[in-house]
Amino acid sequence: MNNTEVILSIRNLNKTFGNEVILENVNLEIKQGEVISIIGPSGTGKSTFLRAINFLSPLTHGEIYFKGAKITNHNVDFIRQKMNMVFQNFGLFSHLTVMQNITSGQIDLLKLPKAEAKEKAMSILKTVGLAERANFYPNQLSGGQKQRVAIARCIAMNPEVILFDEPTSALDPTMVSEVIAVMRSLAKSGITMLVVTHEMEFAKEVSNRVLYMDEKGIYEAGTPEVIFNNPQKSKTKTFIYNIRSYNYETESKNFDYLELLSGVENFCFRNAINKKISNKLHLLIEELITNIISPERAKWHLNLTHSEVLESFEIIIIYAGEKNNLLETSKEELPLMLVNNIAKSINYDYEDGNNILTLKL
Amino acid sequence: MNIEQTKKNDTLTFHLEGRLDLLSAPKLQDILIPTIDGTQSIVLDLKQLTYISSAGLRVILIAQKTASSLNVALNVNNVSDEVMEIFEMTGFSDFLVFGG
Repeated sequence: MNNTEVILSIRNLNKTFGNEVILENVNLEIKQGEVISIIGPSGTGKSTFLRAINFLSPLTHGEIYFKGAKITNHNVDFIRQKMNMVFQNFGLFSHLTVMQNITSGQIDLLKLPKAEAKEKAMSILKTVGLAERANFYPNQLSGGQKQRVAIARCIAMNPEVILFDEPTSALDPTMVSEVIAVMRSLAKSGITMLVVTHEMEFAKEVSNRVLYMDEKGIYEAGTPEVIFNNPQKSKTKTFIYNIRSYNYETESKNFDYLELLSGVENFCFRNAINKKISNKLHLLIEELITNIISPERAKWHLNLTHSEVLESFEIIIIYAGEKNNLLETSKEELPLMLVNNIAKSINYDYEDGNNILTLKL
Repeated sequence: MNIEQTKKNDTLTFHLEGRLDLLSAPKLQDILIPTIDGTQSIVLDLKQLTYISSAGLRVILIAQKTASSLNVALNVNNVSDEVMEIFEMTGFSDFLVFGG
């Protein structure tokens, strides 16, 4: 990516549905040739963001500039030719053949002669591996083939930016790779791409930049290296590392130990944690809570997390009050011996009046 | 936790099944400790014991000390790898008598 011209500038984008705020003050500058993957949990406004950029869903507030020109209702049709979109459900015309689906936009909007449009369509169909399907109707194609036709139709309009809205999520898993292969080759061509995707390998290997969306906006942005290998913010870590957690808190020394025990048991069961690890987690929690923390402090919070990706387990116990590392000051020899032997690492911090013990297994 | 007792000659065997933790340790203490006086030999069969915490270790320690002071033999049998790991990391494996 040599050209550093800003092709798309999104300023203070806000989007609400009724009283519900979906996106709040989103700002983003996209340079020509960038391939940006947009990832995040469901319901965090990723597709809404993409649709808002293309004016398919009107902005509540904010401005979008394409090559320095503000997009308005007056120029949006022209801009959409330059900034085309590929949809999850293909959006092909079922009564038109593959060839007609690809040529209609070129003939009607770009005013290309029919023969030239057909020649161009055939050339693009060859690049997506579907030249032999030119005279087929969409219902004669598989999901992966339909999406490749949709991409071919998009390319035929000579767009400068392509917006992909979860292009593989409606596909049978066996068909994902054929669409990803076409998108990979498109990315190499230098076209600017914004891709809302759940395909993490694609986001990791093909993107220049990854946006993690959460909390009504771009929660964290960075290179694939940073977002996938060293995310900085907690929700990004939870998403990337597929972290599952269990929390328990109390303000009473007479807390419900059975409730805590069954919570840990359910957590282990739901995450298919083997008996050996499950026993160690139970043991750490029993010793820490019932012998070391609870006798000294009534108010504490337990956070147990498991990352499937990192194959790691972490127990964080936060207790308020004066600075005191109870793992150093407790006189409970047996529980301390067990905790110190079972935990792979133990860390103590004191922040804002809270003692924080972090144990890894 | 389930506790079963069997008696053969002068040996009283306690078969422990399940989890020996904060919740079940008092029950074992109530059943085991009073029986030591008046018995020649006690065996703790841990074949079905899947979990032990410091609360359970304390009961075994009290039992061992009580037995020792009364000249009663106390043996521990059929220890699983998981429970043995706990005995080893706490030093219990140094003074408990296994087998027999």
